[in-house]
Amino acid sequence: MLGDIITPDLFASALRMATPLALAAIGGTICERSGVVNIALEGIMLTGAFAGAAITLATGNPWVGVLAAVLAGVAIAAIHAFASINLRADQVVSGTGLNILALGLTGFLMERLYGHPGTTDPVKMIRPLFSLPKPPEGFVGEVLRWVEGVFLSHTPIVYAAIVIAVVAQWAMYKTRWGLRLRALGEHPKAADTVGISVYRGRWAAVLMSGALAGLAGANLVIEQVGSFTENMTNGRGFIALAANIFGRWTPAGSYLASLLFGFADALQIKLQMFRGQIDIPPQFFLMLPYVLTVIVLAGVIGRAVGPAAVGQPYEKG
Amino acid sequence: MSETHEALPEQKPWMTLVQRAGAPVVSVLVAIGIGSVIMWVSGYDAMAAFAALFKGSLGSPKALGDTLLRATPLMFTGLAVAYGFRAGLFNIGAEGQLFMGGLAAAYLGVALAGWPPALALPALLLGAMAAGAAWAFVPALLKARIGAHEVITTMMFTYIAKYIVSWLVVGPLKAPGQIPQTNMIGVSAQLPRIQSLFSDATLEALPFLRLGRGHMGIFVALFFAVAVWLVLKYTTLGYENRAVGYNPWASENAGISVPATIIKSLCISGALAGLAGAVEVMGVHHRIFDQFSSGFGFTGIAVALVAKNHPLGVIPAALLFGAMSAGSGTMQLEADVPQKIVLIIQALVIFLIAAESVVQWFIQKRQKEALARAR
Repeated sequence: MLGDIITPDLFASALRMATPLALAAIGGTICERSGVVNIALEGIMLTGAFAGAAITLATGNPWVGVLAAVLAGVAIAAIHAFASINLRADQVVSGTGLNILALGLTGFLMERLYGHPGTTDPVKMIRPLFSLPKPPEGFVGEVLRWVEGVFLSHTPIVYAAIVIAVVAQWAMYKTRWGLRLRALGEHPKAADTVGISVYRGRWAAVLMSGALAGLAGANLVIEQVGSFTENMTNGRGFIALAANIFGRWTPAGSYLASLLFGFADALQIKLQMFRGQIDIPPQFFLMLPYVLTVIVLAGVIGRAVGPAAVGQPYEKG
Repeated sequence: MSETHEALPEQKPWMTLVQRAGAPVVSVLVAIGIGSVIMWVSGYDAMAAFAALFKGSLGSPKALGDTLLRATPLMFTGLAVAYGFRAGLFNIGAEGQLFMGGLAAAYLGVALAGWPPALALPALLLGAMAAGAAWAFVPALLKARIGAHEVITTMMFTYIAKYIVSWLVVGPLKAPGQIPQTNMIGVSAQLPRIQSLFSDATLEALPFLRLGRGHMGIFVALFFAVAVWLVLKYTTLGYENRAVGYNPWASENAGISVPATIIKSLCISGALAGLAGAVEVMGVHHRIFDQFSSGFGFTGIAVALVAKNHPLGVIPAALLFGAMSAGSGTMQLEADVPQKIVLIIQALVIFLIAAESVVQWFIQKRQKEALARAR
């Protein structure tokens, strides 16, 4: 039975499941590094998912849908940026407001556009990037089957997430932008004194997190599920926040932590297929990612310290 | 215009009330305004929607009963969120504690079916409080000991609670039959409807007492609102809660244990949210099933914010959101506007109160204008 569980398919599924979490988590990392907490990742992802589905349905072109999802994410993030940077709002509360707004707005538009709640019609999906030949029999074929299955079977945004993680990691530690970004979250006053615009830097970071969480929503709808369902993000935005913490506020760490959560998700889905053999109710599998999130947070937090000024509004003095 | 430091008119008690309630009231009005614009832009008749909303929430004694019915759990979740906020804690997972409280009430209501109401009712309420508190305990402990953010942990516990309930109602606690739900709780453990207290003759003479589904839970909720207010105002427990909310470092220096206060605060918050689940089970559904709460835990955040975290302010705030919730069905039916608009308005209220400085700025501007006109 173990051989039926440990298949290329399991690891491929882990990479897929990790992708929306990783994109949102990297967005959260950039945002928090600039000193702004983004609880609204969940709502941004949901809005992105809806925009992606609606525009793909309207235009028939999934790539236009992806673009719409990113723009919708940026739009919601702009509201968050305005509230938390310019109005110096309580960032956690305003983020919560936006999460509920996303739930209400997507549900409202769903009924307005399609006349019913629940799930949209299927959308045109983005296909895997490579079309692969069937591997030959024998040992070589087996190795090829694993390589192709795990690494080469994916859709474009799955690869994009890996590239984004690498680039963001490099940018955060090797470029002037990254140094400035980190300064904003650690000591905004000092950054301001040496001439870095705190407002502009934080605005850019929050908008970037919106774009990434929006892209996460697009991946969910256009590459994974194939339709939009109300509240389909199901807490992924919050798990992404935990992945960001587990990854110690670094893009690469966020990606790896997301991979762990993605693997847990892939495993629970896989195990559900063996329900006949394992006498455990499916709800216990479904709660696994959430339980794992709590365990991970309990295990690492004491040793992981976030940016010093995160969550504190900055007032120009 | 330059700032002028002229003598302000004497402060009267009602003026402080206006100042305190001003921002929430303006936020609610602005949110309803934006909601109307959204309806108008989407091609719906906003006036018809609000007329239907009013009809379904306050238009008849029966509608008023529905408003009370919806306001009851919201008072509890509002109190829960407000109590945590007063200690600087954001219990975003009241929904999960509500599920566990409802589960405890549903279980005890069946197990204690033979008990007289005088024993069964308090037993169920206490059981729900214990379950809610227990569900908040792990997030509380993680927050107090290692600083794990309660927003993430209580949210995760909400998902876990929902899956536990959804497992129990198809598994071990499933009632016979097709529908995934538990057995009905004993009659002695049910909260009676308000109108059942009056004789037919009385109802005939005073028809406004025909409050339909409105049940006695509202009085339990009012009792707890006053109790929480007294606790916060007059007890050491409440004082420590507020002190840690104002300034944890100063509290620690003054000899208050911040970790202990955090644990107590989140557990009390959880207990209050558990009661919300209990009244839904005892007064409305008489059993538990998957979807027995329509997001009361999350609406409780809006209730607490509109109340500015004041336990007595929670009463009108819960009635407001209860009315919106009760009227939204009629609105969908008669004006054909999706119920979700109520969720949008609720979100806008939360957002606007978070960004209160805008609202304050707006009020101050109006006050200045009024002052300028008066001169």
